Amino acid sequence: MAEKGKMSNEHLGGVARLREEQEKVVKDCESRIQHWKKLSGDYEALNDRLKTLPDQLSYDITVPFGPLAFMPGKLVHTNEVTALLGDNWFAKCSTKQAQKIVDHRMKYVKSEMDDLSKTMKNFEARVGLTKDLENISSGKGDYIDIREDSRIIEAAVTKGRKRIAHKPNSKPKLDAILDLKEEEEEEEEEEEEIKVEGGDTERRISTITEEELWARLDELEKLEQQQDDQDRLSDNGDMNGEESSSSEEEKEADAAPPVNGQSVKPSWTPAPHSKKPPCKDSIAEEDDEEEEGHDLPTILFSHTMEPKKVRINTGKNTMLKFSERKEQHSKKKKKNGLNNGHHELHKITTPVDIYRLFVDVKNGEPIPRKSILKSRSRENSVCSDTSESSAADFDERPTPATASRRRTVPPPSHCSPASRFEAFSGTVVEKDPMPTAVPHLTLAPPALPTIMERKQEEVASEVAPPQEAPKRVSKFKAARLQQK
Amino acid sequence: MAEAIQKKLKLEVEKYTQMQKDVSKSVSARQKLETQLAENNIVKEELDLLDTKNTVYKLIGPVLVKQDLDEAKATVTKRLEYINGEIQRYETLLKDLEKKSDQHRELLSGLQQEFQKAQGMAVGKV
Repeated sequence: MAEKGKMSNEHLGGVARLREEQEKVVKDCESRIQHWKKLSGDYEALNDRLKTLPDQLSYDITVPFGPLAFMPGKLVHTNEVTALLGDNWFAKCSTKQAQKIVDHRMKYVKSEMDDLSKTMKNFEARVGLTKDLENISSGKGDYIDIREDSRIIEAAVTKGRKRIAHKPNSKPKLDAILDLKEEEEEEEEEEEEIKVEGGDTERRISTITEEELWARLDELEKLEQQQDDQDRLSDNGDMNGEESSSSEEEKEADAAPPVNGQSVKPSWTPAPHSKKPPCKDSIAEEDDEEEEGHDLPTILFSHTMEPKKVRINTGKNTMLKFSERKEQHSKKKKKNGLNNGHHELHKITTPVDIYRLFVDVKNGEPIPRKSILKSRSRENSVCSDTSESSAADFDERPTPATASRRRTVPPPSHCSPASRFEAFSGTVVEKDPMPTAVPHLTLAPPALPTIMERKQEEVASEVAPPQEAPKRVSKFKAARLQQK
Repeated sequence: MAEAIQKKLKLEVEKYTQMQKDVSKSVSARQKLETQLAENNIVKEELDLLDTKNTVYKLIGPVLVKQDLDEAKATVTKRLEYINGEIQRYETLLKDLEKKSDQHRELLSGLQQEFQKAQGMAVGKV
């Protein structure tokens, strides 16, 4: 309050000063108008005299003779006047002309007076305003100054928090060695979109309170954990039996958890076999063509197997994402039924791998799946723009291999819709590590035809398979790089 | 330290007041020119009211010198041109002076702060 008082005092001083100055201006205007009024009166008198002067031939007048004396005299040439025009210019003229000049002067005087009266009115209005201002600031009078303290509104925070909630999931991906920041972002966005689609009202923040939001998020987290636990149990059994090489599996294992081993073992074995051949081919090609694929053929084979699984996993992951929002278990199970074999193979190798896989599934998988989901939505809306672009990217990197892969891939995709999604995610992964590949030009031509195929496939809901192969390759490469 | 700054400050303040004087001088000169412009405008208009039979005089010192009307008109228009030129000259001059005085004012405020600082330090030492 003390500050306010000071402020108002200073303010008052300023206002008072302003009023003083304005009043001064008004007074000045008044005095000037007075001056012009006097002038105009003089001119009026002069005009009258000039009118009557030529009436007679001569007048008897007393002529001032110096300051002290008057002399009797006669005024002749009554129609002859010497007028001072100004600036020491004189003109000898008749009274009629003199009257014209006087009229002209009167006009000028009048315009001056008008101007002055206008400015005076203006400043009088300002004086009134400053008086009001004075009353307001001093708190007297009828006016009250209404003030509102501006406070920062935290309405927009909800979005950021939601994203934060997703971030924990994305972190595991980083652990898995894939630094696809862009992909993560996309995933987050996708997650958000999915939530909206899923009917979760999280996005409709306005209606939902933060507490409700967090409660919902906690619920979802619990669900995910339960699913993960189930997956681990099933995966561990599978992993122990099938594979011991954990590194590749770990990386690729992301997708495995979503599968949620429902009778996973049987499906896995068949699926890997079918997918493995194409993957091996593509890997061999990549090795020949690209520097990245230098690893021994045997290692590659193992990797290829894993990547295929991973792709499957990713597809499952995407499914998981959906299920998470809508409550994933049922969907995952359904998906698993379709692609169970692939997912299970990836998960099983090692407990650590399994854990990573699960994490990836939630974090890393969601990203590819999200991207996949986006691509699907885009395709539906824009005729598969995203899918084309992603396919083009893949083609550029592993050019020769891609063609073969694409060709090989389609069959698995046909087998399981989930695999398509996986392939998309794989492509996303490739973008980061793969760019070094040289043979873009050579690859490009094949890519175009492949894209066409994909489009056709997409129309028939079979587009994804070609992308899967490149994704797998990229994951392998990434895994190798990481290992190195 | 403080004394040196004070000396400098005094010098600058003197310069500044001089500048202010120049400014006010040129402003008043401009106002004079303005009135002359108005007067000459009136003269020109009134000369237009006269016809060629009227004789026009110019007061030079104590004498009225007879002049031709056309000649008088020409001289008045010339005078108007001159006055307009002068007004423009003063306008630019005024702008220049204002700029200078602004800069000087900043310099002065800087110096003042410095001086106050120095004074405060001196007091602190004491």
